[in-house]
Amino acid sequence: MRKTAVIVALSLIWLSGCRRGPARTNEVVAASVGKAPLNPGDSAWEQAPEYLARLLPQDLVDPRLMKPSTPEVLVRSLTNGTDIAFRLQWVDPVANDAPGAGTFVDGCAVQVPKKIEPSAPDPQMGQAGKPVEVAFWRADWQASVNGRGDTIRDLYPNASIDHYPFEAKSLEAGSAAAKEMAMRYAPAWAMGNRRVGPRETPVEDMVAEGPGTLAPAASTTSRGQGVRTKDGWRVVIVRKLPEGLAPKVRTQVAFAVWEGSAQEAGARKMRTGWIPLAVREAK
Amino acid sequence: MARVHNWQIGREMSYWYPESRPQKQFAAVFDINKCIGCQTCTLACKTTWTSGKGQEYMLWNNVESKPYGCYPLAWDLKLLEMLNGGKWNGKAYEGQTIFESAPAGERVSGWRPDDHDYAYPNVGEDDCTGQVDKGASLSLPHMHWFFYLARICNHCTYPACLASCPRGSIYKRPEDGIVLVDQGRCRGYQECVRGCPYKKVFYNPLTGTSEKCIACFPKIEQGLQPQCFVNCIGKIRLAGWISKPDRARAENPIDYLVHIKKVALPLFPQFGLEPNVYYIPPVHVPPPFLRQMFGPGVDEAIQTYKNAPNDPDLSGLLCLFGSTEMVVPRWRRQGETVFGTDDKGTELVKIPMKEPVYVRAGYDKLYQIARTNCP
Ligand code: SF4
Ligand code: SF4
Repeated sequence: MRKTAVIVALSLIWLSGCRRGPARTNEVVAASVGKAPLNPGDSAWEQAPEYLARLLPQDLVDPRLMKPSTPEVLVRSLTNGTDIAFRLQWVDPVANDAPGAGTFVDGCAVQVPKKIEPSAPDPQMGQAGKPVEVAFWRADWQASVNGRGDTIRDLYPNASIDHYPFEAKSLEAGSAAAKEMAMRYAPAWAMGNRRVGPRETPVEDMVAEGPGTLAPAASTTSRGQGVRTKDGWRVVIVRKLPEGLAPKVRTQVAFAVWEGSAQEAGARKMRTGWIPLAVREAK
Repeated sequence: MARVHNWQIGREMSYWYPESRPQKQFAAVFDINKCIGCQTCTLACKTTWTSGKGQEYMLWNNVESKPYGCYPLAWDLKLLEMLNGGKWNGKAYEGQTIFESAPAGERVSGWRPDDHDYAYPNVGEDDCTGQVDKGASLSLPHMHWFFYLARICNHCTYPACLASCPRGSIYKRPEDGIVLVDQGRCRGYQECVRGCPYKKVFYNPLTGTSEKCIACFPKIEQGLQPQCFVNCIGKIRLAGWISKPDRARAENPIDYLVHIKKVALPLFPQFGLEPNVYYIPPVHVPPPFLRQMFGPGVDEAIQTYKNAPNDPDLSGLLCLFGSTEMVVPRWRRQGETVFGTDDKGTELVKIPMKEPVYVRAGYDKLYQIARTNCP
């Protein structure tokens, strides 16, 4: 009820022409401003219209998210003709950025079809033969990029560790032998799993052809930056402009948000269906 | 969900994937009666596999004192509660498995421990169910008791970890039934941690992936038993291969103990995973507790075990535990000697059922020293 009242009030303000906020659009419109800023606080964002994306629980494939969490995300987009930047903003009073046993981190993702085609792939992670590209931002990676160390003490300051074999006195610190030994105790690292790091960016590029098929893209070219607002997250993800996307051409975009405190990860997430994505010509 | 057969619960059940048994299934028998709770197995595993960053809290092998011990906290109680204890009718399980009781939207009934649940790995250590009063005399089963339960991943026939993973990052090797997390593919959703009722998958916060017991597969591939087996001080463990009950062969040590003698039982068969570590139940513990833990075969198993002194084959085979680093796929007894052989019958190990006894003089004149004889 209260929400409806707020929406009515907002629309009245908008109708009377005394609008203070940005224009709300019914599709995601990337404003061409000659810039695709990484900084969520960049003033260029003022020129971007805003889209209110309502989120739905992922309840199509098991395991599902049975209890809705984050209800909506505010999206703005800017493009410089080569890259496209999305700024996602949502309410989340508590930052969850430390991974751990039974502990999950906040995150968000932007998904677009790999190819612009008349019939879009399945919005749920694409489908066989119709891949989607996903750029995925995670709060724990952001914390690493912001300088948090990558040791158990950084997660549990009171942890006490007797000894790691790869830090034995007999091994020269940083030597190839020490690294090889450390790798033996970190098989994901030995396998080249990008979840291990190095986390130089908080964003990872992925591709998928259906639920459960998400795989790292050949390389990550997208960038990102997430900051805390007074009541949530504001995250910018900058990726390549989808090939062929230009004024008068439309493609689709979908968003997802993971709420760490609700133990959301992987398939347990809040998401949108496809939303039309357009580029607005530079004025 | 598919319908599969689970011999441990004597019926068909639902599982996420159709039945697909490996060519060979890794299995083990642990004789609880012999475990001294020394944790050498825990350390053998820790030093071999989990000394890395992010693995600090992980114990792929742990030993907990029952009834109060549990790692992570209350892992077994939570599951029993979820399944309402589970109801058996003779050898058939009438209750629901964790697959059948999965709520809407879930692949299995499960729960996920948080970091605090791992913080007390040896809680309840050596805690007895009650005080043994002065002057009390013990008879079997004991009026107060505790026992050590050594636990590793059960390399289940119907792994819940594998069924829970939405990415298919967990696989069961067709050649030996060992269940592994593909460390290249895992994305750390911790669904397997939630799904495994035995809580034998662990999340590594620094690699961002889930990790678990690998049954020392590099050793298994060489015909050797895993580290926690060969380092076991109590010699309670025997690794090998288990057949389906209708294919059981008496010359296979695991088949003999599990299927023929029925002296070794699965841990919480009612969960429905067909776990492949089998336990010889402790004879001093009241059977109601054990039945809940090892199913309806407990009384028979205890009887058989207690009768081992009159059963040269059984007592002979028990001598093979901890006798060699090699996996012994076949065995036979000849008089007072037990032979472990490979599949072709070539001898791998030979054990006398009775150690020869030498009695030495109380005083050694040659070295001018007093000697003690150990029984
Ligand atoms: S014990 Fe747990 S981790 Fe091991 S195979 Fe079974 S379900 Fe998976
Ligand atoms: S090493 Fe053997 S005797 Fe010692 S705790 Fe482990 S299983 Fe028990």
